[in-house]
Amino acid sequence: MKKKILAAILSTAMVATLLTGCGGSADATADTSAADTETETAEADTAAETETAEETEAEASGEVTYEECTLTFDWWGGDSRHEATQAAVDAFMTKYPGITVEVNFGAWTDWETAKAAEYLSGNNPDVQQTNFDWIGKYDADGETYLDLNTVSDVLDLTQYDQSTLDTAMDSKGGLAGIPVSITGRTFYWNQATFEQAGLSVPTTLDELLAAGPVFQEKLGDNYYPLVVGEYDRAILMAFYLQAQTGEPVINESGNFTLTEDQVKEGLAWIQSLEEAHVIPTIAYIDGEGADSMDKSARFINGEYAGIFEWDSSPAKYLSALGENSGDLVVGNEIIDGVFKKVSLMFSISATTEHPKEAALLLNYLLNDEEGAAIMSTERGIPESKSAYAVLEAAGAIGAMEAEAHAAVMDADPMYWNPLFDDSSLKGDTAVYTTVFEQFSYGQDASGAAYTIDDAASDLYNAYIAVAPAE
Amino acid sequence: MSKTRKFLKANRGFVYVIPWLVGFLVFKMYPFFTSLYYSFTDYNLFKGMSTYTLQNYIDVFTVATEKNALITTFKYAFMTVPLKLVAALFIAYILNFKIKGVNFFRTAYYIPSILGGSVAIAVLWKALFNDTGLIQMAFSAIGLEAPHFMSDPKWALFMISLLRVWQFGSAMVIFLAALKGISEDLYEAAALDGAGKWRQFFTITVPLITPVIFYNLVTQLVQAFQEFNGPYIITKGGPLGSTTLMSLLVYNNAFGGTYNMGKASAQAWVLFVVLMIFTAIAFWSQKHWVYYSDEEGGK
Repeated sequence: MKKKILAAILSTAMVATLLTGCGGSADATADTSAADTETETAEADTAAETETAEETEAEASGEVTYEECTLTFDWWGGDSRHEATQAAVDAFMTKYPGITVEVNFGAWTDWETAKAAEYLSGNNPDVQQTNFDWIGKYDADGETYLDLNTVSDVLDLTQYDQSTLDTAMDSKGGLAGIPVSITGRTFYWNQATFEQAGLSVPTTLDELLAAGPVFQEKLGDNYYPLVVGEYDRAILMAFYLQAQTGEPVINESGNFTLTEDQVKEGLAWIQSLEEAHVIPTIAYIDGEGADSMDKSARFINGEYAGIFEWDSSPAKYLSALGENSGDLVVGNEIIDGVFKKVSLMFSISATTEHPKEAALLLNYLLNDEEGAAIMSTERGIPESKSAYAVLEAAGAIGAMEAEAHAAVMDADPMYWNPLFDDSSLKGDTAVYTTVFEQFSYGQDASGAAYTIDDAASDLYNAYIAVAPAE
Repeated sequence: MSKTRKFLKANRGFVYVIPWLVGFLVFKMYPFFTSLYYSFTDYNLFKGMSTYTLQNYIDVFTVATEKNALITTFKYAFMTVPLKLVAALFIAYILNFKIKGVNFFRTAYYIPSILGGSVAIAVLWKALFNDTGLIQMAFSAIGLEAPHFMSDPKWALFMISLLRVWQFGSAMVIFLAALKGISEDLYEAAALDGAGKWRQFFTITVPLITPVIFYNLVTQLVQAFQEFNGPYIITKGGPLGSTTLMSLLVYNNAFGGTYNMGKASAQAWVLFVVLMIFTAIAFWSQKHWVYYSDEEGGK
């Protein structure tokens, strides 16, 4: 009798503990069955059988079984993305009572630094928004992100093209994340400014080059057909050179395909854009002190008449232009050599205690009719077929976003290797910033002259340090 | 009484400080000495450590970007500390007079120091100093062109330095307290002897507040060498690295994407040693210029 009472007390305590933390009835029952009493084993077996029967019944009726638990979920982005994602999470918790989702979100600035510390300490959340290059940086051993193939019974992977999923493979061949959308760079033009200059928006590279002097002459020194910062220049130069060579600057084998002379040729082309008054110098851009181009008064008032941006980004520029948003139009890819890349992904931590529930959350956000509608296009035009169908039917895909995406995809984009964004190359103090800044200023940090040969050498050496020459 | 109770009673004070001591050892001393160890390695946060090296220290004095950051930090400290001390003392001296609304002015001058380095300050500073900002507009109004503070490497550091000088409130409050401690009798006596305000200031005020000047000098020196917020929020260290101070360089190496902790640790230790040297010089020099009234014979 004493044994029975003890077993009952222990079982109750165990169940209570698991329910408080994140225990489900099935686990709790299974754990209880481990107790060393015949009676308890019998009780546990009965409970397990009941559970199995319930699960079978639920599955047969199309319902999903899950454990009550608490999940953690984080992402970065702007206000509109935060609002949409929070609303989707709330709807998820209503649909799946018993699963609590604790969210954490913020702006991109310093986000990766905080995440890096989490990866290092193993405290990353159950579900997280991740960057494509994080697979190589933080999941090099394939142990950071859960292989999503293991939860494909809950997470519907059939909604994605296999070629899209293949891009997110880790070193072990596992699926490290779900690419939410595919993106690429294209041009957006301020049609009103071009009209002021007596021009139509450029449809070829030659027309863009010809627009520089016309802007200067007709509108003044402070008007430019296009504005590009340091990282934009690196991408623009890659497009230009890829158009020349017909292959990605870093190929699928991870090799840099250009010679130092070709890099120099690309730099000379960028320099020619500055000299022809097509783009402003970096010093001119710096002088305004704008944090980003959508915050630039020169862009807002039309002095910068063109930007080179991701196809998923027009919303913030339209918002910045306010009542003049109608002036902004999508241009075609006036340079060949376009590439496309995964804009961002969702991943599940390999250390999560609730992979099934985490997958359930992801499936809701990405593929569920209700969830996808709430999430909308806050992370670009979704790759999920079901989400795309829902948003298209609802007319939720913005005309400009769709047009920009089509411009990229119609240009037969090339392969893009994530090494292009290696932290030694991209970043506030990394090579793209320093080389293109110094090259534009014509001097280095010590005040010494910085020539095209210096820039080509620095850029080439930085590339082959992360992607050995072919 | 048991031996344990006896021991605890005899060392009661020690027991009370144990929580602080544990925190100090774990969160201060351990990272402090660990960083010294890392500084002699190629330790990377994600790639680990593969070798011991002195290269990190050699780089601080030979690699252009690192050498420039060290030089820029010196320039910044030697520009901001004297300017800030002079500004703080001057304003404190004025606010020590019995003028109408003095409490309002004391509060107003103190406010910038509590604003610190924030996004609001970054926005304010950019609005003042960018190419279309208020300073440029003021110069244009009189037919002149102001320097391009945000994009000219020669002027960007000056702009960042002004932010620090502007935040002189805390030093001013300390000066004000010291000025209030000077007896009015001394000024009255000096006035009877025909000393003017300037003479009184340099022969009575300054000598009597030299301990406070010394205190402010050391604290401001330490803060200036460790400055991070100003350049980080306004220029991110640019243009051309002209506002990259050592602390920002340490941050960039540690957390800027490369996670090169070995290099960052070495740079932090160089900064620490430089700071120690200057602090030691300041302490050594005080016997020549700081007046402590409780010391025999004055100085």
